[in-house]
Amino acid sequence: MDVVRLDGVSKAFGSVRAVNALSLAVGQGEILGFLGTNGAGKTTTIKMLLGFFRPDAGRVTVLGGDPCDAATRRKIGFMPETAYYYPYLNVRELLAFYGGLCGMSKDQIRTRSEMLIARVGLTDAGNRLLRTYSKGMLQRAGIAQALLHDPDLLILDEPLTGLDPLARIQFRDLILELRRQGKTIFFSSHELSEAELICDRVAILKQGALVLSGAVSEVAGDGRQNLERIFLKVLGVAGGEVAS
Amino acid sequence: MSVRLRQLGALICLSVLELYRRKDLFVVFVLAAVILLPLAFFAPFGVTGAGRYVNELALLLVWLFSIVIGLGTSARLFPPEFESRTIYPMLAKPVARGTVLLGKYSGALAASLLALAVFYLAYGLLTGFRQGVWFPPVLWQAFALHTGFLVIVTALGLLGSLLLTASANVTLCGLLIVGMLSFGQRLAALAATQTVPGKWVLYVIHWVGPHLEFFDLRQRLVHEWPPIGWGVCAAVLAYAACYAAACLALSGLIFKKKRF
Repeated sequence: MDVVRLDGVSKAFGSVRAVNALSLAVGQGEILGFLGTNGAGKTTTIKMLLGFFRPDAGRVTVLGGDPCDAATRRKIGFMPETAYYYPYLNVRELLAFYGGLCGMSKDQIRTRSEMLIARVGLTDAGNRLLRTYSKGMLQRAGIAQALLHDPDLLILDEPLTGLDPLARIQFRDLILELRRQGKTIFFSSHELSEAELICDRVAILKQGALVLSGAVSEVAGDGRQNLERIFLKVLGVAGGEVAS
Repeated sequence: MSVRLRQLGALICLSVLELYRRKDLFVVFVLAAVILLPLAFFAPFGVTGAGRYVNELALLLVWLFSIVIGLGTSARLFPPEFESRTIYPMLAKPVARGTVLLGKYSGALAASLLALAVFYLAYGLLTGFRQGVWFPPVLWQAFALHTGFLVIVTALGLLGSLLLTASANVTLCGLLIVGMLSFGQRLAALAATQTVPGKWVLYVIHWVGPHLEFFDLRQRLVHEWPPIGWGVCAAVLAYAACYAAACLALSGLIFKKKRF
């Protein structure tokens, strides 16, 4: 069964067609890099995967269910691109809040929170208010809240924004560890080099339509072309011509 | 404990914790002390009975601060969530939008009632100390109706918070609240003396606007009049519940349709 399935999905806002007849499937345990320039329709697609709104046409299925149902979202973890969270909470309180929203018991929240706070490297800052956190630390808190309820599918919207090189390596290790645990990861990013290192497959979006999809090894060919050049090429940008 | 109750609990805790961390409660306590402490010791000009003017002033301030706290808390319920995008991870969790709305409302109401309870407790203790009458029934009625008032005010604030910025919401709801408290009782009589279309505008406000003047028992408290009938009290509280339910239903429709 596909964990994520988009069948001919379209969405328009007024006269602007944000997503155009998008069909895509992500299998269990796969890491999909969802790539595209700003305004390509990545965030709109993610919002439909999270059930924030329904598509105008086509069908969105996540883990066999409708993401507009709370029961389906119980199995989804989401990390937004830029969220500043609640500045007057510390990370433990933040996780307690989100755990409560997930319907977790206090014991479950405590156990998972401590484990995740340690895993994302926020133990020393666990009692500090979030308003004192750097952008990178907020991103780590964001990863922790996304993983709190042990979801089967993780949707990450630009997760590397604000992370320093060390944190990026730790993040990459975490993602690969999650894949080993059988989690599926839908990874939207501008960071093509990171996507190349982490992802099993990539899907490139242009003006709401899918222009390229395939395994990273297939897309990048025999190693003469990296993902960045392929990306530029399919978008018809001059830099891609070098590769072609 | 059911999942829905845990979700509501998390949302209520968030609102109360915010009030505490933003030092709003601290301000409330200081204001309560500053306003109400003089009641215990102040005998204006040594004239017997003149103390009721001090009581009136204190109650006026209690009402003003309760509006500030109730409206200030509820008007901020959603705009910061939209601005800082915390609404996304919240709605991505397995929680229904209706639960989010109800939890947010309950949190704002709990925070406002907590502040109100502090005011009334201080008022009851200090007037008791000065006048020797401890928590008379009319004070309990005044508190009960004041909670009804806040039930409506926070519901209006919540509705506005889905449509307006926090400052615009506070201004608009503040005008409505003060307007209805001041003129609500006279709207129908005023409308009868007007010509069309002013007449119809006033009638619409009369029928649709919240009659907040129903909840004001200050004169009874100040002049030590007997309590109102408990049936009347219950009817007014039922009106508050119905009005707030209508506001919440409208908010639910807007929130359900809202695109993020």
